[in-house]
Amino acid sequence: MNGAQHILEAFHRHNIQTVFGYPGGCIMPLYDALVDDVRVEHVLCRHEQGCALAADGYARASGRLGVCIATSGPGATNLITGVANAHRDSIPMLVITGQVPSALIGTDAFQETDVLGMTLGIVKHSYLVESADELPGILDGAMKLAQSGRPGPVWIDIPKDVLLTETTIAPITTPAPPPTACPDLTGAIALLRAARKPLLYSGGGISLAHSEDRFREFSECSELPAVVTLKGIGNPGKYSTHNLGMLGMHGSRAANRAVDECDLLLVIGARLDDRATGKLDGFAPNARTIHIDADAAEFNKLRNSELAIRGDLNAILDELTRALRETPLAINDWRKQCQTWRTTGGFQAADNEEPLAPITGPAFIRQLSRVAPDDTIIACDVGQHQMWVAQHYQFDHPRHHLTSGGLGTMGFGLPAAIGAQFADRQSTVLNVTGDGSFMMNAQELATIRRYSLPVKLIIMDNQCLGMVRQQQELFYNNRESQINLDDNPDFVAMARAFDIPALKIERTDQVRRGIETILAYNGPMLLHVAIAREGNVWPIVKPGGSNKEMIDETRRSAADKKERVA
Amino acid sequence: MNTDSSSKSPSYTITCRMNHEAAALERLCQVVRIRGFRIEKMAVETADGVLDIALTVQGTRSLTMLQSQLEKLHTVAEVILTTPVLAPAASLTA
Repeated sequence: MNGAQHILEAFHRHNIQTVFGYPGGCIMPLYDALVDDVRVEHVLCRHEQGCALAADGYARASGRLGVCIATSGPGATNLITGVANAHRDSIPMLVITGQVPSALIGTDAFQETDVLGMTLGIVKHSYLVESADELPGILDGAMKLAQSGRPGPVWIDIPKDVLLTETTIAPITTPAPPPTACPDLTGAIALLRAARKPLLYSGGGISLAHSEDRFREFSECSELPAVVTLKGIGNPGKYSTHNLGMLGMHGSRAANRAVDECDLLLVIGARLDDRATGKLDGFAPNARTIHIDADAAEFNKLRNSELAIRGDLNAILDELTRALRETPLAINDWRKQCQTWRTTGGFQAADNEEPLAPITGPAFIRQLSRVAPDDTIIACDVGQHQMWVAQHYQFDHPRHHLTSGGLGTMGFGLPAAIGAQFADRQSTVLNVTGDGSFMMNAQELATIRRYSLPVKLIIMDNQCLGMVRQQQELFYNNRESQINLDDNPDFVAMARAFDIPALKIERTDQVRRGIETILAYNGPMLLHVAIAREGNVWPIVKPGGSNKEMIDETRRSAADKKERVA
Repeated sequence: MNTDSSSKSPSYTITCRMNHEAAALERLCQVVRIRGFRIEKMAVETADGVLDIALTVQGTRSLTMLQSQLEKLHTVAEVILTTPVLAPAASLTA
């Protein structure tokens, strides 16, 4: 077996059936071996960034390892944004790149780049394979490492000669490490019981640990008022009455208010990111903190905790549930208070009844949420539409909401939707995107067509980079700079050029039928939604500001009027 | 990020043991830089596939944060901190 065949064997042993890649010079031995291997489905994207982001979407939707493959030089550099995206959101990913032959490394050979060096900061770990004999061990270790503890991308850079070298070393599959015992939670439970206003604050770590069901059980049993981060959306399910929604810059007033007033934050699987906390000085000023996570490096990084507990979230949630089921928390006044805020401080959006009125982003997403089937997976891009989805779509599971949280990668949504559809062939997969983001990976329409994926595309087109425009309006004296996209291509014609049917809507009375048409269509379809250029995401906290100082439309209008009068 | 080598920034010594894999030292140095420290002195010894590194670093951020980020590296076996060799001026006068 040569090095390339060892890679395919390792895929098989680790139950990897789908990989996303793009061939080229130094990775050709692997593509040659693929010709004779029917066990792996290779998805050819049209750009390596599309491969990496599709692998990311595959991993997010399925909870399994995403795999992407590219050649040396430009193949590897094109992967980088996608891998960085996975790294920032702790997505389990295996990245395999060809490298120039060992003897040519360091000679500035054709398509040589120092992949190991340039990717150190965006991987959980990486390897440059020096001989075919070490490849089986590295492959096995890399796949386990990518999925263990706090997951992340692991990159294996393999010189072409190593791929071609025959080795007598047998394939290696070491057993998975046993689950760790539950750490002592006596202190955490005592703090919870002592608190009068405890608040559950959870993030993407719940899904990374595959703890969604346990988390839901804990939430239902404890009846703790709860807030979620962008990546935690979908927990603990859309019918939870204790969930106050997303906190932070575009969070709900209810969530930010509860954080401001709570006396204990129970942080589970979240890293207290600046978009969630706002200015740290003003964040949860009255609260003690219990921080539970798989990564000890997150403890006391941005906020000091009274108690930091590292461990397997599954075991920890089981134990917390058991303890609180035995003796429930007596916090009814606090629950009632949070319920009041939930009623009055949730995300607001007027459903426009005027049939000829222009479509607004929030109203469109609310309609989509009412019409789309329960198991719909939505892959967002980055910008205003991403926040409208986060605010107004009712998700029942975090794996239904694929969003680029940490890196904020425009162009994520379309390839991520492709990956998600490969992970789950039955579910409806939607890419909700903006006119800016769509153009960043539009070449992947060809991938959708090639594999006849029934992915539905919704472009919310405001003819500008809306989130940048909004911040220029609010925080840069309305001085618009390089945000105008009113010369966008005809998106309907563009989709049709890829043999994807498309239609355009621009009035409120077309929304429901437009959504129903694309959902009912048996194949890929694009819905071009013209929305107002001036629409903003409300509420908003000024970047670097305190979450207490949320700005909403009404307040801004009042301030504007005062200014004008003055 | 300000990694300015100010004489007021405290210095610390760290010893670190890690596997001698490709890019091991670069990985270590990059973490030190990104987490807000500057390397003032570095001594490396290798034996049996293991690197023993003695580092003197300078910076105003939390050293325990640097320690936990270094420990997170897959190839790092051990990170030992010693007491600051030069305390910050502010704390000397406090």
